[in-house]
Amino acid sequence: MHRFEATQLILRHAENRPIVSNLGPTTDELWHAGHRDRNFYTYGNMGLCSSIALGMALSTEEQVISLDGDGSLLMNLGTIASIGREQPQNLVVVVWDNEEWGQTGHQSSHTALGTDLEKVAQSCSIPQTATVNNLEDLEGVFRQALETPGPWFIVAKIEETEYMPVAPIEPEMTLYRFRGSFGVSK
Amino acid sequence: MQGIQTGIGGKWAMAWTDIIVQGLKNWDTSLVAYVPDVSIDRVTTLIDDDPFFHLVSATREEEALGVAVGAYATGRNSAVFMQSSGFGNSINALASLCIPARTPIPIFINLRGGPGEFNIAQVPMGRGTRPILDVLGLVHFTLDDEYNMDKIVDGALKLCHANRQPVAICLTQLLHGGKLA
Repeated sequence: MHRFEATQLILRHAENRPIVSNLGPTTDELWHAGHRDRNFYTYGNMGLCSSIALGMALSTEEQVISLDGDGSLLMNLGTIASIGREQPQNLVVVVWDNEEWGQTGHQSSHTALGTDLEKVAQSCSIPQTATVNNLEDLEGVFRQALETPGPWFIVAKIEETEYMPVAPIEPEMTLYRFRGSFGVSK
Repeated sequence: MQGIQTGIGGKWAMAWTDIIVQGLKNWDTSLVAYVPDVSIDRVTTLIDDDPFFHLVSATREEEALGVAVGAYATGRNSAVFMQSSGFGNSINALASLCIPARTPIPIFINLRGGPGEFNIAQVPMGRGTRPILDVLGLVHFTLDDEYNMDKIVDGALKLCHANRQPVAICLTQLLHGGKLA
């Protein structure tokens, strides 16, 4: 499974739900899959994608989707514990797990060598978890996540392929558009 | 609400803890993310007990900033509480998220390393906090006592939203009494 086709699948089912994307290829591919005001692209702050999504889920009744990455999440595993502590039923975390730090030279990440992020989530009291290896299974579990109270934590194993061009987006406009989609004028 | 007598003019005023809580309410700031700290526990306990607020306990200060940004992104004003040592943990969240996206998040920092500090390990980051804020271009205020504190807190939050950037409000041991050795 490649991240771009998986991102397209997520976007097909997400309807107008807000999506936060991890920095780098996840953000770029979300833009290429379908730019929309409800995409909260991140550009830096490695590790904070699902923390941002947690703050959103605690502040809106809508379902919030986080598209995180294994390397980024390993930088801030504590946020899984915070999600388990807060138990936001409207949060769906999807982790693109390529078992490597793709952009820094394809070094193996800890998920290639023994760390099971789904088990981490389970041990942090996240009630709904899954690990999927193909598009069909991802579609099934993601549709279930949209219909069943969470928090959800879905590890999607992916294989890296060619990176797409960097998306022509910038942080201030992202925040402005995103807030506007929640009816906030400034 | 607790009353205290200020040193100047002898007039009765709100306690520093109540001033912060009221300031947050005045600016409709209802999500507070924090990492526990003994000296500002008196404020965060008030916040936790007040149904107006949702207090989110983070495992690390940069995470608290991420949660606060998420709240703001959906239209809910947010604030963060931390200690100056934890400010060191949050610099990249400020530099690569809050500043580029222009998020007006007030950050209340227990500023260690001043008069009365007993812990050698708290001095470098405590002394470094405000210079780092300066290098990042972020506005900060330091509160040593309650004189004019209501105006400073309210004004800091107003500036924060006008400038759409984080503002730091540093609370020193002279204000809150600090942690005793």
